[in-house]
Amino acid sequence: MITRRELLRGVTGVVGGLAWRPGRVLAEPSPETTRLRLYHSPSICTAPQYIVEGLLKADGFSEIKYVKTTVAGISKLLASGGVDVSLHFVAPLLIQLDAGDPVTVLGGVHPGCFELFGADRVRVIRDLNGKTVAITELGQPAHVFLSTMLAHVGLDPHKDVKFVEHPAAECKQLLAEGKVDAYLAFPPDTQELRARKIGHVVVNSTVDRPWSQYFCCMAAGHREFVRKHPIATKRALRAILKATDICALEPERAARALVDGGFTSRYDYALGTMKDVPYNKWRVYDPEDSLRFYGLRLHEARMVKSAPQKLIAQGTDWRFVNELKKELKS
Amino acid sequence: MLALTSLAAVIVVRAAADEALPLMGPAPAFTLTTQDGARVSLHDLRGKVVALTFIYASCADTCPLLTAKMAGLQTRLGTDFGPRVFFASITVDPERDTPDVLKHYAHGHGADLRGWAFLTGAPAEIHEVAKRYGVYYKKSARGDVDHTFLTSLVDSRGMLRVQYLGVRFDPDEMLRDLRSLIRERQALGGARSER
Repeated sequence: MITRRELLRGVTGVVGGLAWRPGRVLAEPSPETTRLRLYHSPSICTAPQYIVEGLLKADGFSEIKYVKTTVAGISKLLASGGVDVSLHFVAPLLIQLDAGDPVTVLGGVHPGCFELFGADRVRVIRDLNGKTVAITELGQPAHVFLSTMLAHVGLDPHKDVKFVEHPAAECKQLLAEGKVDAYLAFPPDTQELRARKIGHVVVNSTVDRPWSQYFCCMAAGHREFVRKHPIATKRALRAILKATDICALEPERAARALVDGGFTSRYDYALGTMKDVPYNKWRVYDPEDSLRFYGLRLHEARMVKSAPQKLIAQGTDWRFVNELKKELKS
Repeated sequence: MLALTSLAAVIVVRAAADEALPLMGPAPAFTLTTQDGARVSLHDLRGKVVALTFIYASCADTCPLLTAKMAGLQTRLGTDFGPRVFFASITVDPERDTPDVLKHYAHGHGADLRGWAFLTGAPAEIHEVAKRYGVYYKKSARGDVDHTFLTSLVDSRGMLRVQYLGVRFDPDEMLRDLRSLIRERQALGGARSER
């Protein structure tokens, strides 16, 4: 016997979901394209996109290509359409949106991964006033993230800190030799610096507030790809978010896949990264909050002109991640 | 005032609880072989809520955890299990998992085969089903199978509603989802199919 309450529940359900009548339900169509290009850079906090190939194949992609690049080259690849859907760092993404690059941010993937390493004379971010910081290139993610951190404590990244550009290996060596005062690193460099006891951690964005409360890496696509291929975009994002769950749930398996796939060489550093980075937050954190937080810091640092809300309005599409949050539980 | 606040809270909680699961689209069809050697298709299960998992019998670590979790849900579903809810566990190791092997595995895990089928098939059939559900699997040189742990809930009309990744999901949440789909089924007159 169906109670009145159950009946009402059922009625509400039927009325609430027009698509429940079989005739009106549409199958999720095949993806508009079976080709997907992602990038491969030395940073491995973006691991979900490196272990995603099998999941992408399961989701209908047959031609998956990795384009090799440096961390600094990710923005250019994304803007030029050299990759279709990929992970990218939130702060550089905002600079791209401000510059009018045809990029659409699709959702957050994980908070925290970068760490600021300092020499003994640097204990807090404000100690960087008047100091020298090694970066690989002005405008690349480490420089942009560090600028937001400086702005957050009231320093002017254009005047108060001297940035010197060197290849990543040299940056680490300069810090080890005490020739620079700080270096902001991404995994696996963070693991390596800690293992080799080079400098000390001033800020760890995986645990230190406010950085740990916002996405560091987000999924984004080339605007035209997203516009022309919404089904493929959702499927690509679904596979990436499944891979993100695997990083969180099975770190050993994910680390092994990174090494076996040739994306990094040290299993121990890869495993450390999988265990350190909070890959279990993509359902929890609000991607818009992250864009707003970093957008304000970049605005304070005079690195973007537009207000965060404008960048959010013109450069995001949360449809897919909002659907996936309901469809994919863990 | 306190009473009104409490009532409002109850309404909010109930509304959240009654929120329908998303509709992901028709669940991919399949026809596979049960532990008893019979052929069964997803279409044959129409009218029941189906929970679909991917496992393999010789898996020594994670698959037993998933199967044990599903066995726990089997018990908690009570009389709904079988007539209204059906579990289907598809092997990702069809070369080794014959019907007999799966039957032995089912007994070992206390599966009530009136409401639970363990399915195998030709490697090409399994490959196609796994692919269509978004499950990745790959056999290693050692013979174990690296695969995605993905449990899909299919409603009584054959619509894919939600997927759970991994084995650490909250069984209470899955039970709520299954019961929510049972309620929908009742509202749609699904009880007829029990007769």
